[in-house]
Amino acid sequence: MDDLSDEAFRLVVRAWVVANYPPEIRNPLKRLHWNECKSWYFKLAEKGWLCPGWPVEYGGMGLSPGKQLIMLDEFERHGCARTIDQGVLMVGPLLIAHGTDEQRAFFLPKVLSGEHIWCQGYSEPNAGSDLASLRTLAERDGDDYVINGQKIWTSMAMDANWIYVLARTDRQAKKQEGIGFFLVPMDTPGITVRPLMTLDLNEEFAETFFDNVRVPASALVGQPNRGWSMAKALLGFERIFVGSPKQSAYALARLRDLAERMGISEDGSFLKVFNRHRLDVEDLTDLYGVYVEQVQRGEIPGPDVSMLKVFQTELYQRIGETMLDVAGEHGGMLEPMEGNRALNPAGLFLQSRPSTIYSGTNEIQRNILSKNVLELPG
Amino acid sequence: MTNADDLRMIRESAAGIAPRTSDLKRIRALRFTEPGFDRTVWREMCEMGWLGLLVPEDQGGSGLGVQAFCALTEELGAALIPEPLIAAAMAARLLPSDMLPDVMAGDRIVLPAWQEKPLSLDLADGGTMFAGGRVTGKKVFVPMAAGADAFLVTVPGGLALVERGAAGVHLECQTTQDGGNSGTLTLDNAHAVWIDGDASAALETACMATSAYLLGVMDRVFGITMEYLKTREQFGRKIGSFQALQHRSADLKIQVSLARATVNAAAKTQDESGDSALRKAAVSRAKARASDAASIVTRGCIQLHGGIGYTDAADPGLFLRKMMVLAPAYGSAAVHRARFRDLAPVGDED
Repeated sequence: MDDLSDEAFRLVVRAWVVANYPPEIRNPLKRLHWNECKSWYFKLAEKGWLCPGWPVEYGGMGLSPGKQLIMLDEFERHGCARTIDQGVLMVGPLLIAHGTDEQRAFFLPKVLSGEHIWCQGYSEPNAGSDLASLRTLAERDGDDYVINGQKIWTSMAMDANWIYVLARTDRQAKKQEGIGFFLVPMDTPGITVRPLMTLDLNEEFAETFFDNVRVPASALVGQPNRGWSMAKALLGFERIFVGSPKQSAYALARLRDLAERMGISEDGSFLKVFNRHRLDVEDLTDLYGVYVEQVQRGEIPGPDVSMLKVFQTELYQRIGETMLDVAGEHGGMLEPMEGNRALNPAGLFLQSRPSTIYSGTNEIQRNILSKNVLELPG
Repeated sequence: MTNADDLRMIRESAAGIAPRTSDLKRIRALRFTEPGFDRTVWREMCEMGWLGLLVPEDQGGSGLGVQAFCALTEELGAALIPEPLIAAAMAARLLPSDMLPDVMAGDRIVLPAWQEKPLSLDLADGGTMFAGGRVTGKKVFVPMAAGADAFLVTVPGGLALVERGAAGVHLECQTTQDGGNSGTLTLDNAHAVWIDGDASAALETACMATSAYLLGVMDRVFGITMEYLKTREQFGRKIGSFQALQHRSADLKIQVSLARATVNAAAKTQDESGDSALRKAAVSRAKARASDAASIVTRGCIQLHGGIGYTDAADPGLFLRKMMVLAPAYGSAAVHRARFRDLAPVGDED
């Protein structure tokens, strides 16, 4: 596939997606649970397209970053749901880079087969923006580690059967340097999951509690105190996805639907606002293109990629706010208008709210920009 | 006339049912239930005289003014009270004396059904007609309609009282984001009692009272958020010590203060001015500001809370969802800005 021209590759992907994507889960309103998205996961796995970024020898496609972006772009264009992708995006690349042969041989095939569904144990109630201050403790006890603590925002924890966990392995070390990276089965005694209802009344996330959870030393990936740098490196070029114009472009299309339904799509005052959003989306797409080209050249984007995240998420929110303005009283309703998923102003508004918080709040992104890009003092 | 002592007493009296320090447990428990409020609390509110606050004394009310009512609804907003006082009070002042006793006692809930399309302040667009003791048409966005016993329907030239259970009355309720409900009332040759009257002034008061409710909403969630910034720590410091959050907070405070000043001034204009256009312009200014500011402040408070603000278990979300329902109710900011422009054209000032 890597031999095809970008355009030819795009058409191949498009044709396959159209022919194979389960129509009943197109453009879902909420993040899908495993039983809802597994049909798509298995389709991808069967085709060999589940892990585009993994090397071929481990069952991946060995695809260049540029072609990976084209693939994602086509998935989004068709309204494909996100699968439960932590094994594909995080655990696989981590083990390929830092795992032992035994870990790779055991875990990678089970990601490819869908036998292992992974969730992420990073954030804690008191370690959000300041993740490195995490307090979950992994203490060595003979051949085992014993883990105690609490994680929050474990996405899809109710569906997952494995969790990857950042836990403190050295209480004395500097905060970034005493952290280990552990792979733990969710059915290990001592793990409790409590679903966390979000503002849009969805149970995508959970709190996960570790009470004397005993795991063998082989659950550790790499060196005991090197978990932080491994976790950080994993973010790599994925950070660019948060700044992809897909959310804003999707919201803009829904704003148009809504305006038509409300009978104001030709009103001058609406068109003024709509055009502003539209230009913002177009310009964001150009800025995103600059980073895509970087990735295509094989470069890893620097801290300036935070600009994408800030602009995209705030644009997404502005469009959500315009939707409420257009919807009037309909924007206060719990269900989409007339049962039509495309007319869901309140849902879209609510879903846009956390985008300026997750993946590093926009305040943190602006700090990164002023410190690491502008090199301002302080 | 209402003096400062009256307003203070009203605010204090509200604390029994709508305490500023409440943990919002009752509010959470009532969300997404039918009818979405508590009739026992409703009776208590009626016993406190709240429903009759604006009803003349000779009809069993307190005969107080808009400032008094707004002082009360601001407190209700701060406590996110779901009982439909604003709507029911709009109907109560339009009912004839002989229909009032059981309404004022809280035994019978009559809610106004005035709106016929979204983003509108028109009371009777001609979509609902009364003739020969029957009413036919459709009314939308009746707040907390699931708890109504009867509806006071606006029609050209007057009002028609319709029993909820009467033949030809079809009520469909949609759940609202705050966990309440909104009714679409379809009337098909339904039996109705004619009532002389004009709901215009009552609608203006409802707009004002909703502005004040939104003021309470934003003021309380802002207070909760400032408390959070003083206690939550990240990077070894209280997060309120970070300048990025300080500036955001200052901006929200400006919005709350603008809304308070505008709502208070507009309420005073209602009580003291006889100039109808001036009064309406003041109402529109208040509702436009209150709707916008409530949106800015509730959204900002979610952001200042970070991830926890995006959970349903955290309180800021309750305030955001209330804003989503009330910012567009009784005319959105855009509707009221347009009305203000029409009522107070540029160059018309002294």
